[in-house]
Amino acid sequence: MAADAWRQWAAFAALFNPTADPSPLGTFRRSPAAFAPFFDAEQFAAAARAFHQSGEDSQTAAAAFGDFLRDQFGGALDGMWGGAASGGSAAAAEEAPALGPAREQQERLQRAAAAWRRLDHAQRRLKRLWSDALGEAARVFVSRLGAPAAPPTAEALYGLYDAWIDCAEEAYARMAHGEAFGATLADALKAASDWRDESAASIEHWAKWLDWPTRREINTLSLRVRALEEQQRATRRERETPARPAAKTHKTAAKKLRGRGKR
Amino acid sequence: MTSRLYAALSAARHCAPGCSEKDEVWRSGKVRLYRYRSISPTPSAVPLLIVYALVNRPYMMDLEPERSLIRGLLSRGLDVYLIDWGYPDGADRFTTLEDYLEGQLAGCVDEILKARGLDALNLLGVCQGGVFSLCFAALHPERVRNLITMVTPVDFHTSTDLLSKWARKIDVEAWVGQANVSGDVLNQLFLALMPFRLSHQKYVDLLRGEVDRARIENFMRIERWIYDSPDQAGAAFREFVVWFYQQNRLVRGGLAIGGRSVDLSTLELPILNLIGTRDHLVPPASSAALRGLTRSSDFTTLELDLGHIGMYVSARAQRQVPPAIADWLAAR
Repeated sequence: MAADAWRQWAAFAALFNPTADPSPLGTFRRSPAAFAPFFDAEQFAAAARAFHQSGEDSQTAAAAFGDFLRDQFGGALDGMWGGAASGGSAAAAEEAPALGPAREQQERLQRAAAAWRRLDHAQRRLKRLWSDALGEAARVFVSRLGAPAAPPTAEALYGLYDAWIDCAEEAYARMAHGEAFGATLADALKAASDWRDESAASIEHWAKWLDWPTRREINTLSLRVRALEEQQRATRRERETPARPAAKTHKTAAKKLRGRGKR
Repeated sequence: MTSRLYAALSAARHCAPGCSEKDEVWRSGKVRLYRYRSISPTPSAVPLLIVYALVNRPYMMDLEPERSLIRGLLSRGLDVYLIDWGYPDGADRFTTLEDYLEGQLAGCVDEILKARGLDALNLLGVCQGGVFSLCFAALHPERVRNLITMVTPVDFHTSTDLLSKWARKIDVEAWVGQANVSGDVLNQLFLALMPFRLSHQKYVDLLRGEVDRARIENFMRIERWIYDSPDQAGAAFREFVVWFYQQNRLVRGGLAIGGRSVDLSTLELPILNLIGTRDHLVPPASSAALRGLTRSSDFTTLELDLGHIGMYVSARAQRQVPPAIADWLAAR
Protein backbone atom coordinates (compact mmCIF):
# COMPACT_ATOMS: atom_id res chain seq x y z
CA MET A 1 0.00 0.00 0.00
CA ALA A 2 2.76 2.41 0.99
CA ALA A 3 4.82 1.40 -1.99
CA ASP A 4 1.78 2.23 -4.11
CA ALA A 5 1.61 5.68 -2.56
CA TRP A 6 5.29 6.30 -3.20
CA ARG A 7 5.02 5.08 -6.75
CA GLN A 8 1.95 7.24 -7.22
CA TRP A 9 3.69 10.38 -5.98
CA ALA A 10 6.76 9.63 -8.03
CA ALA A 11 4.76 8.93 -11.15
CA PHE A 12 2.72 12.05 -10.76
CA ALA A 13 5.75 14.22 -10.08
CA ALA A 14 7.40 12.71 -13.17
CA LEU A 15 4.48 13.85 -15.31
CA PHE A 16 5.25 17.41 -14.25
CA ASN A 17 8.96 16.89 -14.71
CA PRO A 18 9.15 15.52 -18.22
CA THR A 19 12.78 16.16 -19.05
CA ALA A 20 14.32 14.85 -15.86
CA ASP A 21 16.97 12.13 -15.71
CA PRO A 22 16.52 9.33 -13.21
CA SER A 23 18.81 9.71 -10.23
CA PRO A 24 20.84 6.89 -8.69
CA LEU A 25 18.38 6.83 -5.78
CA GLY A 26 15.59 5.68 -8.03
CA THR A 27 13.88 9.04 -7.92
CA PHE A 28 14.84 11.69 -10.42
CA ARG A 29 16.58 15.00 -10.52
CA ARG A 30 14.53 18.11 -10.88
CA SER A 31 14.52 19.70 -14.31
CA PRO A 32 14.13 23.46 -14.57
CA ALA A 33 10.59 22.95 -15.85
CA ALA A 34 9.50 20.77 -12.94
CA PHE A 35 6.65 21.94 -10.78
CA ALA A 36 8.22 22.39 -7.34
CA PRO A 37 5.40 21.20 -5.05
CA PHE A 38 5.15 17.82 -6.78
CA PHE A 39 8.87 17.42 -7.03
CA ASP A 40 9.32 18.30 -3.36
CA ALA A 41 6.54 15.92 -2.34
CA GLU A 42 8.12 13.09 -4.31
CA GLN A 43 11.46 13.74 -2.68
CA PHE A 44 9.73 13.85 0.68
CA ALA A 45 8.16 10.44 0.01
CA ALA A 46 11.55 9.02 -0.94
CA ALA A 47 13.10 10.39 2.26
CA ALA A 48 10.23 8.97 4.31
CA ARG A 49 10.84 5.57 2.68
CA ALA A 50 14.55 5.82 3.46
CA PHE A 51 13.71 6.70 7.06
CA HIS A 52 11.38 3.75 7.47
CA GLN A 53 13.65 1.27 5.74
CA SER A 54 16.92 2.34 7.34
CA GLY A 55 18.55 -0.16 9.59
CA GLU A 56 20.00 2.69 11.65
CA ASP A 57 18.91 3.66 15.11
CA SER A 58 15.91 5.95 15.20
CA GLN A 59 17.85 9.06 16.23
CA THR A 60 20.30 8.82 13.36
CA ALA A 61 17.54 8.08 10.88
CA ALA A 62 15.45 10.98 12.17
CA ALA A 63 18.41 13.35 12.04
CA ALA A 64 19.04 12.35 8.43
CA PHE A 65 15.38 12.98 7.65
CA GLY A 66 15.63 16.42 9.30
CA ASP A 67 18.75 17.33 7.33
CA PHE A 68 17.02 16.30 4.14
CA LEU A 69 14.09 18.61 4.92
CA ARG A 70 16.39 21.58 5.51
CA ASP A 71 18.13 20.96 2.20
CA GLN A 72 15.03 20.22 0.19
CA PHE A 73 12.96 23.17 1.34
CA GLY A 74 15.80 25.66 1.74
CA GLY A 75 14.86 27.38 -1.50
CA ALA A 76 11.12 27.30 -0.88
CA LEU A 77 10.93 31.07 -0.50
CA ASP A 78 13.12 31.91 -3.47
CA GLY A 79 10.17 32.19 -5.80
CA MET A 80 8.53 34.62 -3.42
CA TRP A 81 11.31 36.96 -2.50
CA GLY A 82 13.65 36.26 -5.38
CA GLY A 83 17.06 34.67 -5.08
CA ALA A 84 19.83 36.73 -3.62
CA ALA A 85 20.69 39.62 -5.88
CA SER A 86 24.04 39.00 -7.45
CA GLY A 87 26.52 41.17 -9.26
CA GLY A 88 26.36 44.79 -8.26
CA SER A 89 29.44 46.86 -7.80
CA ALA A 90 32.11 47.13 -5.21
CA ALA A 91 31.43 49.55 -2.40
CA ALA A 92 34.58 51.45 -3.37
CA ALA A 93 33.10 52.34 -6.78
CA GLU A 94 30.02 53.66 -5.01
CA GLU A 95 32.21 56.06 -3.05
CA ALA A 96 34.14 57.34 -6.08
CA PRO A 97 33.78 61.11 -6.40
CA ALA A 98 31.69 62.08 -9.41
CA LEU A 99 33.36 64.79 -11.44
CA GLY A 100 32.86 66.42 -14.79
CA PRO A 101 29.92 66.64 -17.17
CA ALA A 102 28.78 63.05 -16.47
CA ARG A 103 28.71 63.49 -12.69
CA GLU A 104 24.91 63.35 -12.41
CA GLN A 105 24.79 60.14 -14.37
CA GLN A 106 27.63 58.65 -12.35
CA GLU A 107 25.96 59.50 -9.06
CA ARG A 108 22.74 57.98 -10.27
CA LEU A 109 24.55 54.78 -11.19
CA GLN A 110 26.24 54.79 -7.79
CA ARG A 111 22.90 55.14 -6.05
CA ALA A 112 21.50 52.28 -8.17
CA ALA A 113 24.50 50.11 -7.29
CA ALA A 114 24.13 50.93 -3.59
CA ALA A 115 20.43 50.03 -3.75
CA TRP A 116 21.29 46.73 -5.43
CA ARG A 117 23.78 45.97 -2.70
CA ARG A 118 21.18 46.74 -0.02
CA LEU A 119 18.75 44.45 -1.82
CA ASP A 120 21.36 41.70 -1.89
CA HIS A 121 21.97 42.08 1.84
CA ALA A 122 18.28 42.07 2.65
CA GLN A 123 17.69 38.94 0.61
CA ARG A 124 20.57 37.21 2.33
CA ARG A 125 19.11 38.15 5.71
CA LEU A 126 15.74 36.78 4.64
CA LYS A 127 17.36 33.54 3.57
CA ARG A 128 19.18 33.30 6.87
CA LEU A 129 15.98 33.84 8.83
CA TRP A 130 14.27 31.26 6.67
CA SER A 131 17.06 28.78 7.19
CA ASP A 132 16.76 29.22 10.97
CA ALA A 133 12.99 28.67 10.81
CA LEU A 134 13.45 25.62 8.63
CA GLY A 135 15.97 24.20 11.07
CA GLU A 136 13.48 24.68 13.89
CA ALA A 137 10.72 23.08 11.82
CA ALA A 138 12.91 20.07 11.03
CA ARG A 139 13.89 19.69 14.70
CA VAL A 140 10.26 19.71 15.82
CA PHE A 141 9.29 17.34 13.04
CA VAL A 142 11.91 14.72 13.82
CA SER A 143 11.15 14.97 17.52
CA ARG A 144 7.61 13.92 16.69
CA LEU A 145 8.66 10.99 14.51
CA GLY A 146 8.25 7.56 15.99
CA ALA A 147 10.82 4.85 15.50
CA PRO A 148 11.31 3.61 11.93
CA ALA A 149 8.90 0.77 11.45
CA ALA A 150 7.46 -1.39 8.76
CA PRO A 151 6.42 0.46 5.62
CA PRO A 152 3.59 2.85 6.55
CA THR A 153 0.26 2.88 4.85
CA ALA A 154 -0.52 5.42 2.16
CA GLU A 155 -2.63 7.27 4.69
CA ALA A 156 0.32 7.36 7.09
CA LEU A 157 2.53 8.79 4.37
CA TYR A 158 0.07 11.62 3.81
CA GLY A 159 -0.08 12.05 7.57
CA LEU A 160 3.69 12.39 7.68
CA TYR A 161 3.63 14.96 4.92
CA ASP A 162 0.87 16.93 6.66
CA ALA A 163 2.84 16.83 9.90
CA TRP A 164 5.85 18.29 8.11
CA ILE A 165 3.74 21.05 6.56
CA ASP A 166 2.29 21.86 10.00
CA CYS A 167 5.77 22.09 11.51
CA ALA A 168 7.04 24.22 8.64
CA GLU A 169 4.06 26.61 8.80
CA GLU A 170 4.31 26.97 12.57
CA ALA A 171 8.01 27.78 12.42
CA TYR A 172 7.48 30.11 9.47
CA ALA A 173 4.65 31.94 11.25
CA ARG A 174 6.81 32.53 14.32
CA MET A 175 9.52 33.97 12.11
CA ALA A 176 7.17 35.97 9.85
CA HIS A 177 5.45 37.64 12.80
CA GLY A 178 8.79 38.63 14.24
CA GLU A 179 10.30 42.08 14.13
CA ALA A 180 13.38 41.01 12.18
CA PHE A 181 11.52 39.43 9.27
CA GLY A 182 9.16 42.39 8.82
CA ALA A 183 12.00 44.88 8.97
CA THR A 184 14.12 42.90 6.51
CA LEU A 185 11.21 42.49 4.13
CA ALA A 186 10.66 46.26 4.27
CA ASP A 187 14.38 46.85 3.62
CA ALA A 188 14.28 44.55 0.60
CA LEU A 189 11.25 46.31 -0.82
CA LYS A 190 12.74 49.76 -0.24
CA ALA A 191 16.03 48.77 -1.85
CA ALA A 192 14.25 47.25 -4.84
CA SER A 193 12.13 50.42 -5.19
CA ASP A 194 15.19 52.67 -5.02
CA TRP A 195 17.02 50.55 -7.58
CA ARG A 196 13.99 50.71 -9.90
CA ASP A 197 13.73 54.49 -9.57
CA GLU A 198 17.43 55.13 -10.17
CA SER A 199 17.50 52.73 -13.10
CA ALA A 200 14.42 54.35 -14.61
CA ALA A 201 15.98 57.79 -14.21
CA SER A 202 19.12 56.59 -16.00
CA ILE A 203 17.13 55.18 -18.87
CA GLU A 204 15.06 58.36 -19.10
CA HIS A 205 18.25 60.37 -19.27
CA TRP A 206 19.21 58.56 -22.47
CA ALA A 207 15.65 58.55 -23.77
CA LYS A 208 15.72 62.36 -23.74
CA TRP A 209 18.86 62.35 -25.88
CA LEU A 210 17.05 60.16 -28.37
CA ASP A 211 13.90 62.29 -28.12
CA TRP A 212 11.84 59.36 -26.97
CA PRO A 213 8.83 59.90 -24.72
CA THR A 214 9.57 59.35 -21.06
CA ARG A 215 7.40 58.12 -18.19
CA ARG A 216 7.72 61.51 -16.52
CA GLU A 217 6.36 63.17 -19.63
CA ILE A 218 3.44 60.74 -19.84
CA ASN A 219 2.69 61.27 -16.15
CA THR A 220 2.58 65.01 -16.66
CA LEU A 221 0.14 64.58 -19.53
CA SER A 222 -1.96 62.13 -17.50
CA LEU A 223 -2.21 64.63 -14.66
CA ARG A 224 -3.22 67.36 -17.08
CA VAL A 225 -5.96 65.16 -18.55
CA ARG A 226 -7.10 64.32 -15.05
CA ALA A 227 -7.29 67.99 -14.09
CA LEU A 228 -9.28 68.73 -17.25
CA GLU A 229 -11.68 65.89 -16.49
CA GLU A 230 -12.20 67.18 -12.97
CA GLN A 231 -12.83 70.66 -14.32
CA GLN A 232 -15.32 69.26 -16.83
CA ARG A 233 -17.17 67.35 -14.09
CA ALA A 234 -17.32 70.46 -11.91
CA THR A 235 -18.72 72.50 -14.80
CA ARG A 236 -21.33 69.82 -15.53
CA ARG A 237 -22.35 69.69 -11.87
CA GLU A 238 -22.70 73.46 -11.83
CA ARG A 239 -24.90 73.37 -14.94
CA GLU A 240 -27.05 70.54 -13.59
CA THR A 241 -27.53 72.14 -10.18
CA PRO A 242 -30.77 74.13 -10.03
CA ALA A 243 -30.66 77.79 -9.09
CA ARG A 244 -28.85 78.18 -5.81
CA PRO A 245 -30.95 78.28 -2.67
CA ALA A 246 -29.05 81.38 -1.60
CA ALA A 247 -30.21 83.20 -4.72
CA LYS A 248 -33.81 82.09 -4.12
CA THR A 249 -33.65 83.28 -0.56
CA HIS A 250 -32.32 86.56 -1.76
CA LYS A 251 -35.16 86.86 -4.29
CA THR A 252 -37.75 85.84 -1.71
CA ALA A 253 -36.34 88.31 0.72
CA ALA A 254 -36.47 91.01 -1.96
CA LYS A 255 -40.11 90.13 -2.74
CA LYS A 256 -40.96 90.28 0.92
CA LEU A 257 -39.36 93.67 1.16
CA ARG A 258 -41.30 94.81 -1.88
CA GLY A 259 -44.47 93.42 -0.31
CA ARG A 260 -43.83 95.28 2.87
CA GLY A 261 -43.32 98.39 0.85
CA LYS A 262 -46.70 97.93 -0.84
CA ARG A 263 -48.42 97.54 2.44
CA MET B 1 -4.57 6.92 -11.13
CA THR B 2 -1.77 9.42 -11.72
CA SER B 3 -2.26 9.49 -15.46
CA ARG B 4 -6.01 9.89 -14.95
CA LEU B 5 -5.38 12.80 -12.61
CA TYR B 6 -2.95 14.37 -15.03
CA ALA B 7 -5.47 13.94 -17.85
CA ALA B 8 -8.25 15.42 -15.72
CA LEU B 9 -6.10 18.44 -14.87
CA SER B 10 -5.15 18.83 -18.47
CA ALA B 11 -8.78 18.59 -19.59
CA ALA B 12 -9.81 21.14 -16.97
CA ARG B 13 -7.17 23.68 -17.85
CA HIS B 14 -9.56 25.76 -19.93
CA CYS B 15 -12.44 25.65 -17.45
CA ALA B 16 -13.90 29.10 -17.38
CA PRO B 17 -15.31 30.55 -14.21
CA GLY B 18 -18.75 32.12 -14.13
CA CYS B 19 -22.07 30.39 -14.49
CA SER B 20 -24.94 32.82 -13.99
CA GLU B 21 -26.33 34.93 -16.79
CA LYS B 22 -25.81 38.64 -16.48
CA ASP B 23 -26.13 41.85 -18.45
CA GLU B 24 -23.88 44.86 -18.45
CA VAL B 25 -26.07 47.77 -17.41
CA TRP B 26 -23.52 50.58 -16.96
CA ARG B 27 -19.88 51.31 -17.56
CA SER B 28 -17.44 54.05 -16.74
CA GLY B 29 -13.87 53.75 -17.90
CA LYS B 30 -12.78 50.22 -17.06
CA VAL B 31 -15.55 49.68 -14.52
CA ARG B 32 -18.56 47.58 -15.48
CA LEU B 33 -21.81 47.19 -13.59
CA TYR B 34 -23.61 43.89 -14.15
CA ARG B 35 -27.13 42.84 -13.27
CA TYR B 36 -27.68 39.11 -12.90
CA ARG B 37 -30.74 37.63 -14.53
CA SER B 38 -33.31 36.53 -12.04
CA ILE B 39 -33.91 32.82 -11.61
CA SER B 40 -36.66 33.33 -9.07
CA PRO B 41 -40.31 33.96 -9.95
CA THR B 42 -40.51 36.70 -7.30
CA PRO B 43 -37.38 38.80 -7.24
CA SER B 44 -36.95 41.18 -4.36
CA ALA B 45 -37.84 44.82 -4.82
CA VAL B 46 -34.66 46.19 -3.28
CA PRO B 47 -31.55 45.36 -5.28
CA LEU B 48 -28.37 44.05 -3.71
CA LEU B 49 -25.13 45.52 -5.03
CA ILE B 50 -22.01 43.41 -4.47
CA VAL B 51 -18.84 45.43 -4.04
CA TYR B 52 -15.84 43.21 -4.50
CA ALA B 53 -12.18 43.96 -3.68
CA LEU B 54 -9.78 45.54 -6.14
CA VAL B 55 -7.11 42.91 -5.61
CA ASN B 56 -8.77 39.93 -7.28
CA ARG B 57 -11.43 39.37 -9.89
CA PRO B 58 -15.06 39.26 -8.79
CA TYR B 59 -15.98 36.11 -10.73
CA MET B 60 -15.08 34.19 -7.60
CA MET B 61 -18.58 35.08 -6.42
CA ASP B 62 -20.03 33.06 -9.29
CA LEU B 63 -17.41 30.38 -9.89
CA GLU B 64 -19.56 27.44 -10.99
CA PRO B 65 -23.17 26.30 -10.48
CA GLU B 66 -22.53 24.34 -7.30
CA ARG B 67 -20.23 26.98 -5.86
CA SER B 68 -21.74 30.32 -6.58
CA LEU B 69 -22.70 32.75 -3.88
CA ILE B 70 -24.48 34.81 -6.52
CA ARG B 71 -26.51 31.84 -7.73
CA GLY B 72 -27.46 31.09 -4.14
CA LEU B 73 -28.67 34.66 -3.69
CA LEU B 74 -30.55 34.66 -7.00
CA SER B 75 -32.28 31.41 -6.16
CA ARG B 76 -33.55 33.04 -2.97
CA GLY B 77 -35.13 35.83 -4.92
CA LEU B 78 -32.52 38.55 -4.55
CA ASP B 79 -31.94 41.02 -7.35
CA VAL B 80 -28.16 41.00 -7.64
CA TYR B 81 -25.83 43.58 -9.16
CA LEU B 82 -22.04 43.30 -9.22
CA ILE B 83 -19.25 45.81 -9.82
CA ASP B 84 -16.31 44.66 -11.91
CA TRP B 85 -13.46 47.11 -11.35
CA GLY B 86 -11.54 45.86 -14.39
CA TYR B 87 -7.79 45.73 -14.86
CA PRO B 88 -6.10 49.07 -14.15
CA ASP B 89 -3.22 49.94 -16.46
CA GLY B 90 -0.63 52.67 -16.58
CA ALA B 91 -3.25 55.28 -17.40
CA ASP B 92 -4.94 54.61 -14.04
CA ARG B 93 -1.92 55.22 -11.84
CA PHE B 94 -3.34 58.46 -10.44
CA THR B 95 -6.77 57.00 -9.69
CA THR B 96 -7.52 57.61 -6.03
CA LEU B 97 -9.84 56.07 -3.47
CA GLU B 98 -12.06 59.09 -3.98
CA ASP B 99 -12.33 58.17 -7.67
CA TYR B 100 -13.29 54.61 -6.78
CA LEU B 101 -15.77 55.56 -4.08
CA GLU B 102 -17.27 58.87 -5.14
CA GLY B 103 -16.86 58.31 -8.85
CA GLN B 104 -17.30 54.68 -9.72
CA LEU B 105 -19.09 53.13 -6.76
CA ALA B 106 -21.36 56.17 -6.45
CA GLY B 107 -21.96 56.02 -10.21
CA CYS B 108 -23.05 52.37 -9.97
CA VAL B 109 -25.37 53.12 -7.06
CA ASP B 110 -26.89 56.13 -8.84
CA GLU B 111 -27.46 54.08 -11.97
CA ILE B 112 -29.28 51.33 -10.07
CA LEU B 113 -31.38 53.75 -8.04
CA LYS B 114 -32.32 55.75 -11.13
CA ALA B 115 -33.20 52.64 -13.14
CA ARG B 116 -35.27 51.19 -10.33
CA GLY B 117 -36.84 54.39 -9.09
CA LEU B 118 -35.56 53.85 -5.57
CA ASP B 119 -33.93 56.00 -2.91
CA ALA B 120 -31.70 53.31 -1.40
CA LEU B 121 -30.35 49.83 -2.04
CA ASN B 122 -28.64 47.02 -0.13
CA LEU B 123 -24.86 46.77 -0.22
CA LEU B 124 -22.78 43.62 0.16
CA GLY B 125 -19.08 44.40 0.51
CA VAL B 126 -16.49 41.67 0.28
CA CYS B 127 -13.05 42.04 1.90
CA GLN B 128 -11.61 45.35 0.67
CA GLY B 129 -14.99 45.91 -1.00
CA GLY B 130 -16.45 45.75 2.51
CA VAL B 131 -14.19 48.63 3.53
CA PHE B 132 -15.42 50.56 0.49
CA SER B 133 -19.02 49.75 1.39
CA LEU B 134 -18.53 50.97 4.96
CA CYS B 135 -17.02 54.21 3.70
CA PHE B 136 -19.78 54.68 1.13
CA ALA B 137 -22.51 54.04 3.69
CA ALA B 138 -20.91 56.58 6.02
CA LEU B 139 -20.64 59.15 3.23
CA HIS B 140 -24.11 58.50 1.76
CA PRO B 141 -26.32 56.99 4.46
CA GLU B 142 -29.46 57.96 2.56
CA ARG B 143 -28.53 55.69 -0.35
CA VAL B 144 -27.87 52.49 1.63
CA ARG B 145 -30.75 50.63 3.22
CA ASN B 146 -28.94 47.60 4.66
CA LEU B 147 -25.25 46.82 4.76
CA ILE B 148 -23.63 43.39 4.67
CA THR B 149 -19.91 43.11 5.23
CA MET B 150 -18.20 39.84 4.43
CA VAL B 151 -14.63 38.96 5.55
CA THR B 152 -14.06 42.69 5.88
CA PRO B 153 -11.04 44.12 7.70
CA VAL B 154 -11.98 46.96 10.04
CA ASP B 155 -9.34 47.02 12.76
CA PHE B 156 -6.08 46.72 10.82
CA HIS B 157 -3.90 46.48 13.91
CA THR B 158 -4.99 43.24 15.52
CA SER B 159 -2.20 41.08 16.88
CA THR B 160 -2.56 38.18 14.44
CA ASP B 161 -2.71 40.29 11.28
CA LEU B 162 0.52 39.31 9.54
CA LEU B 163 -0.17 41.32 6.40
CA SER B 164 -0.67 44.42 8.51
CA LYS B 165 2.55 43.80 10.45
CA TRP B 166 4.44 43.75 7.18
CA ALA B 167 2.53 46.67 5.69
CA ARG B 168 3.25 48.89 8.68
CA LYS B 169 6.99 48.58 8.14
CA ILE B 170 6.95 49.18 4.41
CA ASP B 171 7.82 52.54 2.89
CA VAL B 172 4.80 52.57 0.66
CA GLU B 173 5.64 55.94 -0.90
CA ALA B 174 8.90 54.51 -2.18
CA TRP B 175 7.31 51.23 -3.24
CA VAL B 176 4.53 52.79 -5.29
CA GLY B 177 6.38 55.87 -6.50
CA GLN B 178 4.22 57.13 -9.35
CA ALA B 179 3.52 53.69 -10.75
CA ASN B 180 0.89 51.00 -10.34
CA VAL B 181 1.55 48.08 -8.03
CA SER B 182 2.01 44.73 -9.69
CA GLY B 183 -0.76 42.25 -8.97
CA ASP B 184 1.78 39.44 -9.21
CA VAL B 185 3.89 40.95 -6.43
CA LEU B 186 0.83 41.33 -4.23
CA ASN B 187 -0.07 37.73 -4.96
CA GLN B 188 3.34 36.64 -3.71
CA LEU B 189 2.73 38.57 -0.51
CA PHE B 190 -0.63 36.87 -0.01
CA LEU B 191 0.87 33.43 -0.68
CA ALA B 192 3.72 34.22 1.69
CA LEU B 193 1.24 34.40 4.55
CA MET B 194 1.13 30.57 4.53
CA PRO B 195 3.64 29.49 1.91
CA PHE B 196 3.65 25.77 2.60
CA ARG B 197 -0.09 25.30 2.66
CA LEU B 198 -0.82 27.64 -0.24
CA SER B 199 2.08 26.76 -2.50
CA HIS B 200 2.81 23.11 -1.70
CA GLN B 201 0.24 21.18 0.28
CA LYS B 202 -2.77 22.14 -1.79
CA TYR B 203 -1.19 20.54 -4.87
CA VAL B 204 -0.27 17.36 -3.05
CA ASP B 205 -3.84 17.22 -1.78
CA LEU B 206 -4.87 16.64 -5.37
CA LEU B 207 -3.41 13.15 -5.11
CA ARG B 208 -5.70 12.17 -2.27
CA GLY B 209 -8.85 10.29 -3.00
CA GLU B 210 -10.38 9.40 -6.31
CA VAL B 211 -10.01 11.46 -9.44
CA ASP B 212 -13.22 13.40 -9.41
CA ARG B 213 -13.84 15.58 -12.43
CA ALA B 214 -15.93 18.15 -10.58
CA ARG B 215 -13.26 18.51 -7.88
CA ILE B 216 -10.49 18.93 -10.45
CA GLU B 217 -12.46 21.51 -12.43
CA ASN B 218 -13.21 23.42 -9.27
CA PHE B 219 -9.53 23.32 -8.35
CA MET B 220 -8.51 24.65 -11.75
CA ARG B 221 -11.06 27.46 -11.65
CA ILE B 222 -9.83 28.57 -8.23
CA GLU B 223 -6.24 28.24 -9.41
CA ARG B 224 -7.01 30.50 -12.31
CA TRP B 225 -8.69 33.03 -10.02
CA ILE B 226 -5.82 33.08 -7.54
CA TYR B 227 -3.31 34.02 -10.21
CA ASP B 228 -5.61 36.43 -12.03
CA SER B 229 -4.53 39.45 -10.01
CA PRO B 230 -5.05 42.89 -11.51
CA ASP B 231 -2.38 45.51 -10.99
CA GLN B 232 -3.42 48.12 -8.46
CA ALA B 233 -3.87 51.77 -9.33
CA GLY B 234 -0.87 53.34 -7.60
CA ALA B 235 -2.48 56.33 -5.88
CA ALA B 236 -5.45 54.34 -4.52
CA PHE B 237 -3.16 51.56 -3.34
CA ARG B 238 -0.92 54.02 -1.52
CA GLU B 239 -3.92 55.63 0.17
CA PHE B 240 -5.35 52.27 1.17
CA VAL B 241 -2.12 51.01 2.72
CA VAL B 242 -1.33 54.26 4.53
CA TRP B 243 -4.81 55.15 5.73
CA PHE B 244 -6.03 51.69 6.64
CA TYR B 245 -3.07 49.35 7.20
CA GLN B 246 -0.62 51.83 8.63
CA GLN B 247 -2.80 54.46 10.31
CA ASN B 248 -5.86 52.31 11.05
CA ARG B 249 -8.12 55.27 10.45
CA LEU B 250 -11.38 53.31 10.49
CA VAL B 251 -10.73 52.66 14.16
CA ARG B 252 -8.62 55.63 15.19
CA GLY B 253 -10.54 58.20 13.16
CA GLY B 254 -9.32 60.88 10.83
CA LEU B 255 -10.40 59.18 7.62
CA ALA B 256 -11.62 61.51 4.88
CA ILE B 257 -12.53 60.68 1.30
CA GLY B 258 -12.70 63.59 -1.10
CA GLY B 259 -12.44 66.00 1.78
CA ARG B 260 -15.45 64.50 3.57
CA SER B 261 -15.07 62.79 6.90
CA VAL B 262 -15.78 59.05 7.10
CA ASP B 263 -16.91 58.28 10.62
CA LEU B 264 -18.25 54.79 11.29
CA SER B 265 -19.98 56.02 14.42
CA THR B 266 -22.47 57.79 12.19
CA LEU B 267 -23.70 54.46 10.79
CA GLU B 268 -27.18 53.70 12.05
CA LEU B 269 -28.40 51.32 9.35
CA PRO B 270 -28.89 47.56 9.87
CA ILE B 271 -25.59 45.70 9.48
CA LEU B 272 -24.85 42.02 8.99
CA ASN B 273 -21.18 41.20 9.54
CA LEU B 274 -20.03 37.82 8.18
CA ILE B 275 -16.78 36.55 9.67
CA GLY B 276 -14.72 33.51 8.73
CA THR B 277 -13.25 32.10 11.91
CA ARG B 278 -10.46 30.41 9.90
CA ASP B 279 -9.68 33.48 7.79
CA HIS B 280 -5.88 33.75 7.40
CA LEU B 281 -6.05 37.02 5.46
CA VAL B 282 -8.51 39.03 7.54
CA PRO B 283 -8.28 37.92 11.17
CA PRO B 284 -11.72 37.41 12.71
CA ALA B 285 -10.93 40.01 15.38
CA SER B 286 -10.31 42.58 12.67
CA SER B 287 -13.84 42.13 11.27
CA ALA B 288 -15.45 41.73 14.66
CA ALA B 289 -14.24 45.19 15.68
CA LEU B 290 -16.97 46.72 13.55
CA ARG B 291 -19.62 46.05 16.16
CA GLY B 292 -18.10 48.49 18.61
CA LEU B 293 -17.64 51.26 16.07
CA THR B 294 -21.11 51.92 14.69
CA ARG B 295 -24.31 53.26 16.21
CA SER B 296 -26.44 50.60 14.53
CA SER B 297 -29.07 49.23 16.88
CA ASP B 298 -29.68 46.39 14.42
CA PHE B 299 -26.27 44.75 14.22
CA THR B 300 -25.85 41.04 13.53
CA THR B 301 -22.56 39.17 13.60
CA LEU B 302 -22.44 35.79 11.97
CA GLU B 303 -19.30 33.76 12.57
CA LEU B 304 -18.84 30.81 10.25
CA ASP B 305 -16.23 28.09 10.49
CA LEU B 306 -14.76 29.05 7.12
CA GLY B 307 -11.63 30.54 5.65
CA HIS B 308 -11.33 33.69 3.57
CA ILE B 309 -11.88 32.05 0.21
CA GLY B 310 -14.04 29.28 1.61
CA MET B 311 -16.53 31.98 2.57
CA TYR B 312 -17.68 32.17 -1.04
CA VAL B 313 -16.64 28.94 -2.71
CA SER B 314 -16.73 26.12 -0.18
CA ALA B 315 -19.58 23.65 -0.21
CA ARG B 316 -20.44 24.62 3.35
CA ALA B 317 -20.61 28.28 2.40
CA GLN B 318 -23.16 27.46 -0.29
CA ARG B 319 -25.38 25.92 2.36
CA GLN B 320 -24.93 28.65 4.95
CA VAL B 321 -24.11 32.03 3.46
CA PRO B 322 -26.84 32.73 0.84
CA PRO B 323 -29.69 31.70 3.15
CA ALA B 324 -28.22 33.73 5.99
CA ILE B 325 -28.03 36.83 3.82
CA ALA B 326 -31.43 36.30 2.20
CA ASP B 327 -33.20 35.66 5.51
CA TRP B 328 -31.55 38.64 7.16
CA LEU B 329 -32.54 40.94 4.30
CA ALA B 330 -36.06 39.51 4.13
CA ALA B 331 -36.57 40.48 7.75
CA ARG B 332 -35.69 44.10 6.91
